[in-house]
Amino acid sequence: MLLTEADARTITNKLLGYATADDVVVFIESEDYSHLRFAANTFLTSGRREGTTARVTAWIGKRRGAAATTDLSDAALKQAVADAQTFAKLAPVDVEYLPSLAQQSYKPGRGWVDATAQIDLPARARQISEAISRSEKANVIGAGFHQVGLLAHASATAHGNFHYERGSLVSLGMTARTPDAMGSGYFARNHYDVGQLDTGRVARESIRRASESRGGRMLPAGSYPVILEAQAVADLLDSGGMSFDARNADEGRSVFSLPGGATRVGTKLFDPRINILSDPWRPQLATFTASDDGVPAQAMHLVRNGVVESLRYSRYWAQQKNTQPSGPFALVLEPSTPGISVEEMIKTTKRALLVSRFFYIRTVDRRSASVTGLTRDGVWYIENGEIKYPVRNFRFNQSIVLMLGPGNVDAIGVPERVASSEGGTDPLLVPALRLNAFNFTSQSDAI
Amino acid sequence: MVRREFLKVASTAVGAVALAPWVLEREAAAAAEVDAVKSAFAEAALTRAKVLGASYADIRINRYRSEAIVTRERQVQNVARNQDFGFGVRVLVNGTWGFAASSIVTADEVRRVTAVAVDIARANSMFQRKRVRLAPVEAAVANWKSAFDKDPFDVPLDDKIHFLLALNDTALKTSGVSFVNSSLRWVNEQRFLATSDGSRIEQYLIRGDPQFTVTAVSRETGDFQTRRSLSGPQARGYEYIEKFPWQAEATKAAEEAVEKLKAKSVEPGRYDLVIHPSNLWLTIHESAGHSTELDRALGWEADYAGTSFLTPDKAGKLRFGSSLVNIVADRVQPTGLATVAYDDDGVPAQRWYLVKDGIFVDWQTSRELASLIDRKKSYGCTNADSWRSVPFARMPNVSLEPGAQDTSLDDLVGGVEKGILIYGDGSWSIDQQRYNFQFGGQTFWEISNGKVAGMMRDVAYQSRSTDFWGACDGLGGRSTYELSGSFVDGKGEPGQVGVVSHGCPVARFRQINVLNTSVSMT
Repeated sequence: MLLTEADARTITNKLLGYATADDVVVFIESEDYSHLRFAANTFLTSGRREGTTARVTAWIGKRRGAAATTDLSDAALKQAVADAQTFAKLAPVDVEYLPSLAQQSYKPGRGWVDATAQIDLPARARQISEAISRSEKANVIGAGFHQVGLLAHASATAHGNFHYERGSLVSLGMTARTPDAMGSGYFARNHYDVGQLDTGRVARESIRRASESRGGRMLPAGSYPVILEAQAVADLLDSGGMSFDARNADEGRSVFSLPGGATRVGTKLFDPRINILSDPWRPQLATFTASDDGVPAQAMHLVRNGVVESLRYSRYWAQQKNTQPSGPFALVLEPSTPGISVEEMIKTTKRALLVSRFFYIRTVDRRSASVTGLTRDGVWYIENGEIKYPVRNFRFNQSIVLMLGPGNVDAIGVPERVASSEGGTDPLLVPALRLNAFNFTSQSDAI
Repeated sequence: MVRREFLKVASTAVGAVALAPWVLEREAAAAAEVDAVKSAFAEAALTRAKVLGASYADIRINRYRSEAIVTRERQVQNVARNQDFGFGVRVLVNGTWGFAASSIVTADEVRRVTAVAVDIARANSMFQRKRVRLAPVEAAVANWKSAFDKDPFDVPLDDKIHFLLALNDTALKTSGVSFVNSSLRWVNEQRFLATSDGSRIEQYLIRGDPQFTVTAVSRETGDFQTRRSLSGPQARGYEYIEKFPWQAEATKAAEEAVEKLKAKSVEPGRYDLVIHPSNLWLTIHESAGHSTELDRALGWEADYAGTSFLTPDKAGKLRFGSSLVNIVADRVQPTGLATVAYDDDGVPAQRWYLVKDGIFVDWQTSRELASLIDRKKSYGCTNADSWRSVPFARMPNVSLEPGAQDTSLDDLVGGVEKGILIYGDGSWSIDQQRYNFQFGGQTFWEISNGKVAGMMRDVAYQSRSTDFWGACDGLGGRSTYELSGSFVDGKGEPGQVGVVSHGCPVARFRQINVLNTSVSMT
């Protein structure tokens, strides 16, 4: 059972009441999560977990200690507070200590829908069975994952702040493979509102892509123009390859650092049509609006019309630099001009590769925000406005910043809600992109 | 000598205050309280599951203690200790799995959650295509502790803080070092498994993960380079901190981070590689560890982690590497992160070959997977990362055996005209069927005419798994063998974090493709 606001307030009040430290921040996370996993056209595992974690951070004489527990009994809560205080007494002075927040004002989030919390077991089983039936009829092998996550967050401080918020999430991802293992397709979507999740579309799209990617041709590695579907863009941007962290930039260890100690803020680093924002209130996103220590989210531009406008600040670094802390990040990439559909992009493309998904993305050079990874589950060759044939997979090595740089972005799509396929559930709002060059460095035999 | 210097530096950092013993006493008291009743809870769950129609059931009542200390330069960023306690019930109803878990460990909650697991299994079984079967296992009653000399949770916290700040202090003494980040993490798993087959197994595991990263920044050029610690996490106690020469490692790391700023950028092309165990463990993990997971071969991981180029028909036939290559799976190896006495199916830990004389010969299996290839028994690879997670097939320790001769690193380097010697794991990536991989490292040394020359940088090697292992023409002896591993091996949906070790000697590989990873921003 998810904690209500009243329940959460009771627990945070207890924790704060037990504390004798100079300053305290408490954070409660309550979870009610269920899943159904399938593969080889049959159900694998399915389960539900319920639990709450209470975390206490205490400062005594600016010395910091933290403890957490999943046991909500009075004795366990007292112990967590006592442990945090004990550790605080042992720790050296926290030179980055800032007093916990006084009462903040929060713009309400909107990421909770009752219907999502009420998905019942037989209905879910039937829905996934239908996806498997579609696979069987199409003579493909389906594997996928349906999950429903309900989360409640509450934070409170010794200086009087309290914040409670809950969020719902339902998602379905599916990979379909042809029986000869020569074709593979993937599609996934998630939403806080179960009414907005089209599970039939997920099944149809993954099956179509499996069939249409079958028998891909091996093309030589090299630089190609590409159309990256929104999924592939989300995979890259969520990989951590391009961090907007202000402190790293100021310390000279970021792609946004410049020789001599300056940063690239104010520099035209990206295509002039590109805007990168954080905005958890976008109706398509509706993510959490406060950090674990209660910092309210800011709707902010990081890149406006291609120019780096701001970076993201922790509380400590914001205080050092006399600016506002950024709070939680909800990434939006949107064009200044109207976006066009992937279909329109294809029709107006002379030659390019269409990429649906990336896999195993890792940073290789933080100085240039360069990452490596591979294409997966569908690459096609486009010529003269038409998809001509499927292509086998590639490894790439590519700077994300240069990829989005002036002169390389040819067309920008319509932003849509997508989560990274590398295991993330936090949604991004990103468009498909047509790029003049993308650096594929070797061929992969994987299908 | 090293130990004395450590104490001297540490004593100036913070006062010597021991963790109040009553904290640990209370933890022990809470654990004992649950110990007294968990057998009863287990019987309640297993009985309830049977009454509700389950053909098989198990319950895990687990407590996880973790401690993390995080520092940078001369300050401690966080000191935290977590208690994570709960139970998970797994049932088979009509050949369909159901699972439910809760952090409220009471008799009523155990009965309620068992019913939830049965409800889930029953609802799904209406639409199930293939019924689950389990390979047989003998019931076991056991109580086991992992190999450690000194329980880190008994070591005063200030000793650990001193250790990290001393490391940082050592690194910062080197001119040109700008930043040091270090951390020390300990995990204690107290596992209790009861199955409807009659097993009752208690296990107590200790694991540690000390690590640090030194960063050198050149403000003039805008360049920065890092050098991470080479020694990895291990299933050892606090003796790992006391016996390993961490301070010397910090000094070396600092000097090498600074040296990297001026090192020669590699010319891309084909090189002979001599790879140290601190790098090769990760290549073993990705190319041999994950490819020999039977669930991947059967398509169960197709939606996320991927499948495998080692399809079920290839066991005993496919040449994986040169005849020097022998790769073993091993859940009994001392200090291995995946070492246990029994897995979460109640199957005893084992050691077996995955690759023998270069031929791929066998799989990693669970009870469920073993039944699908008509095996009479499981190799015992089932694991869950938490009481709240569903047990499924996870990697055992997977290691490359050393060569029969006592070949040294210098011997292997001596046989290279143009090559690179690589230490430490860096960036890593491999495709979803485990063919194409690319690995970086921490330091790279040019080999010219059998001698190690100067440092290089911006190196990544890229190859195809079977090509790479086929190019192995030299293995170091037992004296070069080291164990490293990962605390954060991701797999599954919902995602779980695995811990796994990989041992290997230094090894040589001929004519491997090397990339230059630097990209100009101008």
